[in-house]
Amino acid sequence: MNGTTPLVEISMGIDAFASEWLHCDRISSYLARMVSHSRTDSLLYANLLSSALNELLETAFAHHGPDGNFCCRVSRAGESDVIELDLPCDEQALSFYRAAADRLGQPDLAAAYHAALFAPEAADPHLGLLEVAVDYRARITILPEQGNRLKLAAEMVLEGAAA
Amino acid sequence: MSVDRSYQASFNENNQEFVIAGKLRPQNAAEIKPLADALARSLAQVRGTVYLNVKRLARLNNVAFRAIASVVTQVCGTRPDLRVEVVTSSVMGWSTRKFQPLAERLPNVTVNEYDKDFYPGQSYLEEGGFIPILRNQTKLTWHHEKHLLPRHGLRPGMTMADVCCGIGDFAVLARKEFSPASIIALDHSRTSLDYARKVAADFGITGIEYVYGDASEMVLEDNQFDFVTCRHSLQVFDRPELILRELFRICKPGGRVYITNEKNSHCLGEPRAESIQWTYNEVARLWADYKMDIELGPKSRRYMLDAGFEDIRVDSFMVTNLDGDPQGFADIIQSWENVYAGEMARDRGDPPEFLARFRQGFQDHIHAALHPKGYAGWPIWAASGRKPT
Repeated sequence: MNGTTPLVEISMGIDAFASEWLHCDRISSYLARMVSHSRTDSLLYANLLSSALNELLETAFAHHGPDGNFCCRVSRAGESDVIELDLPCDEQALSFYRAAADRLGQPDLAAAYHAALFAPEAADPHLGLLEVAVDYRARITILPEQGNRLKLAAEMVLEGAAA
Repeated sequence: MSVDRSYQASFNENNQEFVIAGKLRPQNAAEIKPLADALARSLAQVRGTVYLNVKRLARLNNVAFRAIASVVTQVCGTRPDLRVEVVTSSVMGWSTRKFQPLAERLPNVTVNEYDKDFYPGQSYLEEGGFIPILRNQTKLTWHHEKHLLPRHGLRPGMTMADVCCGIGDFAVLARKEFSPASIIALDHSRTSLDYARKVAADFGITGIEYVYGDASEMVLEDNQFDFVTCRHSLQVFDRPELILRELFRICKPGGRVYITNEKNSHCLGEPRAESIQWTYNEVARLWADYKMDIELGPKSRRYMLDAGFEDIRVDSFMVTNLDGDPQGFADIIQSWENVYAGEMARDRGDPPEFLARFRQGFQDHIHAALHPKGYAGWPIWAASGRKPT
């Protein structure tokens, strides 16, 4: 992203990433720890960043195209950190992310998030993205790219964001 | 596919408390069903108020949250008499905000951010007023401790944690004198940490990471420090054994934990010894009323043995008015009077005649410290133990 300094990036085949659920936890914990050292309270920051990043990774784990490279990058601009997921997308996944972008553009996201959080039946597939937008006040952008790929970016200021 | 079992869940019938700790990031509801079932069974047994303790739950995804929320919602729907108190921690950052919507949906659920209740007298010690005390105290105790620390195992290049670091001055002194590889300095007072960070920034001090945390429930991982210090702090907690358990946990096998504590009733001075003695006996009673043990120093050996440490080493030393500037010693005593008599005894509801006599003992101690022929002392016990390999 423009104006940000890349801090760390993990790249692998999407099939490798999606072969193991624990990758979401491992990657989010590792990256959060790596980029939090220079924050005022590194433990608290890593906790918050890991929680937000894990929700994004779990979303990507469930919704992606079949082949291609998967990349998770964290960049920084002052107090903001930007998480970028770059992933292959087939038509079904693109449709999922288009619908997500529409919902994230709606007013009263908090009400939508709380409704999804307590939905009695199956989990709302956009729940993780809604949570990151509401609880972590992230500005999320979802941009389809050439070659059946998609870039999802979440920009957030977590310092001082503890509840 | 591997299932992550890095969480612990337990139910204490006597406390009506269901505790979940660790990390809960399951892929699907089936993975978390054993925990959800255990929670449902526990809630079915209780009456009145039940505590859902998540203060050491470091990670939680939405799959797990929904499973927990579903059980609580079902039970609360059929048991309007039941109160569910979710106990979160400010240390985790996300948990209070995550569980709050549950309380907003269900009238019999509340969310309480734990911490204050655990430390009954700590608000006196955490905020503002105690910073001058801490600054002066460290200056005078360092005079003794810098000679003791090598005997207790501190060496250059070690990874070190200073738990309950206060305003961070001990960490700074240890860094300069012993050159540890790194220091994590943890405290539960944001005021103190802000002060510590500002001092570090102003003086260009590096290699110390100041973090917010709860000494009894630290987010730090097991077995990661060669040397763990916790000074003048076990005496502040009503359950020091819980803190020691945490210090033990984060210490590497073969590493050492170093603690210092006081026995305030042994403070002494000449002249006016009797008045001084009376006041410090009352200090011990006052702290006990706030469920803190300012007499803990000589009990250190027992606490460390009970916590599982070996090779216990204990030293005691007397900080006196002859250690440096007597005014520095007198300033500490004045700070004690301000907090103990001016705040704690007053808030306990002590009558004016008691407060006057109580204050007089501090003033007599100051008099002894500044008297050209006087002697004033404040005894401290330093103890350390090795974590078995």
